[in-house]
Amino acid sequence: MKNLVKILIMSALWALPAVAQETPDVMDIVEKANHVSYYKGDDGRAKVNMRIIDAQGRERVRAFIILRKDEDTADGKDGKQKMYVYFNKPADVKKMVFMVVKNMDRDDDRWLYLPALDLVKRIAASDERTSFVGSHFFYEDVSGRGIDEDNHELLEQDETYYIVKSTPKDPKSVEFSYYKNWIHKSTFLPVKTEYYDGSDQKIRSYTALKVDMIAGHPTVTASRMENHESGGKTLMNYSAVKYDVGLPDEIFSERYLRKAPRKYLR
Amino acid sequence: MIHISQTATRRPKIFLWAASLLSAIMIALVVLPSVWPASFGMLNALQIDTDPENMLSVDEPVRVFHNEQKKTFSLYDMVVVGVINEDHPQGVFNASTLGDVHALTEFAKTIQWQDKSGQTQGVIAIDLMAPSTVDNIETEGVGTVRFEWLMKEAPSDDLEALQIRNKAQNLPLLNGTIVSEDGRAVALYIPITTKNVSYKVVQALKSKISEFDSKDQYHVTGLPVAQDTFGVEMFIQMAISAPMAMVLIFLLMWYFFKKVSLVVSPMIVAMVSVIATMGLLVMTGNTVHIMSSMIPIFIMPIAVLDAIHILSDFYDRYPVYKDRKKTIDHVMRELSAPMFFTTLTTAVGFASLALTPIPPVQVFGIFVATGVVLAWFFTITLVPAYIMLMPEEKFSGFGLDQSAGENNSLMARTLHGLGRVTYSGAKLIILMVFILSGLAWAGITKISINDNPVKWFAPSHEIRVADRALNARFAGTYMAYLTLGAPEDTKPLDQFASELAQSMQAHELLPLQDMSAGVSSLVTGVKDRQELIEQLSAALELRMDIVSDEDWDMWDDALTWVGSQLSAGEVFKSPEVLEYMGQLQDYLQETGLVGKSNSLADVVKTVHRELFAGDEDAYRIPASRRAVAETLITYQNSHRPQDLWHFVTPDYTKTNMWLQLKSGDNRDMSALIEKVDQFFLDNPAPDGIGYGWFGLTYINVIWQDKMVSGMAKAFIGSFIIVLVMMVFLFRSLWWGILAMVPLTFTIGMIYGLIGWIGKDYDMPVAVLSSLSLGLAVDYAIHFLVRSREMHKQFPDWKSTKEAVFGEPARAITRNVIVVGVGFMPLLAAPLLPYKTVGVFISAILVLAGIASLTILPALIRIFEKLLFKTKTERTS
Repeated sequence: MKNLVKILIMSALWALPAVAQETPDVMDIVEKANHVSYYKGDDGRAKVNMRIIDAQGRERVRAFIILRKDEDTADGKDGKQKMYVYFNKPADVKKMVFMVVKNMDRDDDRWLYLPALDLVKRIAASDERTSFVGSHFFYEDVSGRGIDEDNHELLEQDETYYIVKSTPKDPKSVEFSYYKNWIHKSTFLPVKTEYYDGSDQKIRSYTALKVDMIAGHPTVTASRMENHESGGKTLMNYSAVKYDVGLPDEIFSERYLRKAPRKYLR
Repeated sequence: MIHISQTATRRPKIFLWAASLLSAIMIALVVLPSVWPASFGMLNALQIDTDPENMLSVDEPVRVFHNEQKKTFSLYDMVVVGVINEDHPQGVFNASTLGDVHALTEFAKTIQWQDKSGQTQGVIAIDLMAPSTVDNIETEGVGTVRFEWLMKEAPSDDLEALQIRNKAQNLPLLNGTIVSEDGRAVALYIPITTKNVSYKVVQALKSKISEFDSKDQYHVTGLPVAQDTFGVEMFIQMAISAPMAMVLIFLLMWYFFKKVSLVVSPMIVAMVSVIATMGLLVMTGNTVHIMSSMIPIFIMPIAVLDAIHILSDFYDRYPVYKDRKKTIDHVMRELSAPMFFTTLTTAVGFASLALTPIPPVQVFGIFVATGVVLAWFFTITLVPAYIMLMPEEKFSGFGLDQSAGENNSLMARTLHGLGRVTYSGAKLIILMVFILSGLAWAGITKISINDNPVKWFAPSHEIRVADRALNARFAGTYMAYLTLGAPEDTKPLDQFASELAQSMQAHELLPLQDMSAGVSSLVTGVKDRQELIEQLSAALELRMDIVSDEDWDMWDDALTWVGSQLSAGEVFKSPEVLEYMGQLQDYLQETGLVGKSNSLADVVKTVHRELFAGDEDAYRIPASRRAVAETLITYQNSHRPQDLWHFVTPDYTKTNMWLQLKSGDNRDMSALIEKVDQFFLDNPAPDGIGYGWFGLTYINVIWQDKMVSGMAKAFIGSFIIVLVMMVFLFRSLWWGILAMVPLTFTIGMIYGLIGWIGKDYDMPVAVLSSLSLGLAVDYAIHFLVRSREMHKQFPDWKSTKEAVFGEPARAITRNVIVVGVGFMPLLAAPLLPYKTVGVFISAILVLAGIASLTILPALIRIFEKLLFKTKTERTS
């Protein structure tokens, strides 16, 4: 019996330095998580089906194709990114396009092409936490929140996850007071994100429902965003996901808003 | 009946003890579950109900529809906070006030808690409307449209505050709603989970407001607030008016009968009756509503009426017998029949209220009727029992001083004088009755039916002050909702499919023609249209994978066409329909009855304008359905996309217009309903669209209509029942009709007066008619019963009337005074309906007393031969 205790103590002592070594830098985790969420491959393409379900269970659908291309940066870090979102459903907004240029040094540029009104509009928003086409996802959830906008803190870790708490540097610019991210240890995919208000009430939460390995990249192919205040949720399903398609730069321009690059949307 | 009284006189102690025990049990049964609800869960606790919606029963179609629509469009009851500043040149649009408004809004969002069942209660933060929680959409430079919070942070200076005002006033949905039309005040609309939490929410808001050090005025209002205040003031009414009535009645009786110890007995009767009735009300699970809160003050005066007759007769007779037992025996023999009948008629009058379709009025009627019968029972037992328990020597010197003759008191002399006038001036009296009736009829035709629960508060009440202040500045605090809906498409799936195949066949797009044949095979395996379209789209997409790039566009167009077949049912994306809604809104504005209307059409027009550089000419509905869809999806890119679903259902088959009215008068709402009916008649809606109303302002109109027609029914019902009872009581049709004359005249006069003075025919006035009927007939019964009795001892009416205008007339007069004064304490109540009831019921009873003492003898004089025919024959 005494021996057994000794062994336990010994092994505990032996384990201690290992644990200390395993505590990584929180910024490292956050950067990796950001990369696997938004910067896989040089570019990407996916068909997205969105079901917006309100508290009463009433459902609306959106279907669109996302094209994404990353710009090379000098230091090899994740940088500027362009996104082209082409709508197929609802049928009455088909051909509508939403385009984003994500800048590192200033607010993102956003364009909207409305075919029936024959309008290309730049959208200026005071913040990016507005609804993405009526869903419970925000623009920022689709394009990614800049990792420098929050202070990050590794709350705890278990066998599978790093749990990171992020607190905004400018609390007035957002509707939450902090959020917690469950980041998968081996893939660095955030599988759950919970947003809290000032009185520690959970107001919103994101869940990755399905992860597939596509071209060597672990990819979330089904996810859910819930708004706990309104009781509504949005389900997103990804299909026909491709990486390194070889998207040309010029399709991310105003000209291609009016004339969709059919080749890459088929 | 006389046996019960005789039993009581034999065993007085048992009866008094039993009554005390009954009261104690009743009190215990109410107090225990109210104070310790956990330990006495099986008993019903005292429950206050201040919800005007409960004027209609829960399953009433209008109310069911109202609740369905509230759910469909995610609408909640709202607390409205209006902020006004009279000192600053820019009104509330200065940095300091908006700073407070911002802080108040942030605070309001946090007023939430978990209830016992774990549900979140309080403010629904996500739907809160305030400058800092709504979105601004505007053009920014060339080709750019901006979405932002209207007031993300408190402005740093007054100029910024002014910019916020200008932005808000540029948005039709906010102008007049969040920002006052004069641009000097703001309003917050705070939705709450249920009405029941409004008190807690308002208290929290008020305590936050009290922290602000400013000259701003904060008005907290909204129907939920009004209701809470009802609850409080109902208790004030019960706590002040009822005891006051008690004291007044006691003092009057003391004056009449000069003996405190004797007068205590009717007070005991009144107390026991009230306790027993209210106990029964609570025990049976009924709530205390604005109507039922008046039960005590109704039972109190009525309960003492019979006791006054007994004491009055006892007072006049005792000097003859000088023995309380003999006197009581005489009194009870003389009075038991009329007392029984007056009790029945009164009970019938109140019970007739059960014929109205208004649950609180039914409860009121039934329980007052119960109370009246209980009071009768306690009167004929406890009063004799009490008298028997008093020592005989206490009565020495008691009673009307017979030796000095009957004519010495002022009341006695006046009544005898009156008796003679009715004899000599009978024809003149009847002529007067005819003239007055004509005038009353003219007045009745002028009656205006109207009500407004907010006006139940006194004009100086903070709710009325807020009501005036906010409606003078904003588009209106009274909400009505007009919902439009497309008729349900009941076309069977097979027919839909074959029509779809036909139109595909006929379409110019080749892929559609190509695929049309496949529709009939798809339809067998699907459950509804949506699935059919999805299957067809999938089939198209499969083909698209293999078609050439040149053909792809054509196939893509075909896919779009198929997809749009489903959205054909989305009628409220149709430009034609939205234009129609716009016309309806313009029309509503022209009626002058609507302060402002907000609809889906306004959303589309505003977004369209901002997409086109804020150009006023672009403030219109775009021409195509797809263009409308694009403005709507643009709108959903805001911070509050869910706002759209307050105006339209996600399937775009139903829409909701939010109308803000400056007046909550039912008259104005009724006028609006008529105007809208007319609009739909003159301008038939496209696509067979129908409409319906909901909202509390509308519900008020419905229950008022039900009340008016229900009251007419109740009145006619009780009139006929009482007439039949009278015919039965007097065993004569003529005497029966005669008994109905004074009260008919009285009620006609009172309603004529209401018409002439322009008092609205509202809830309390409506209730008065049938309840006063049962009370007003009492005097006629006593008068006629005693007249017939006394006529047997005299040769003719001329000599009979001298006796009738003795003790019987005095008893009636004492009753008139006691009841007339007994209801007066209602004037001290803070809510106007109580005052109205107090004034009019007193007026009705006093007038009925006078009418009974004048019209009846005058008619008897004129129709003496007809009425006393049998007797004359017998004697001759």
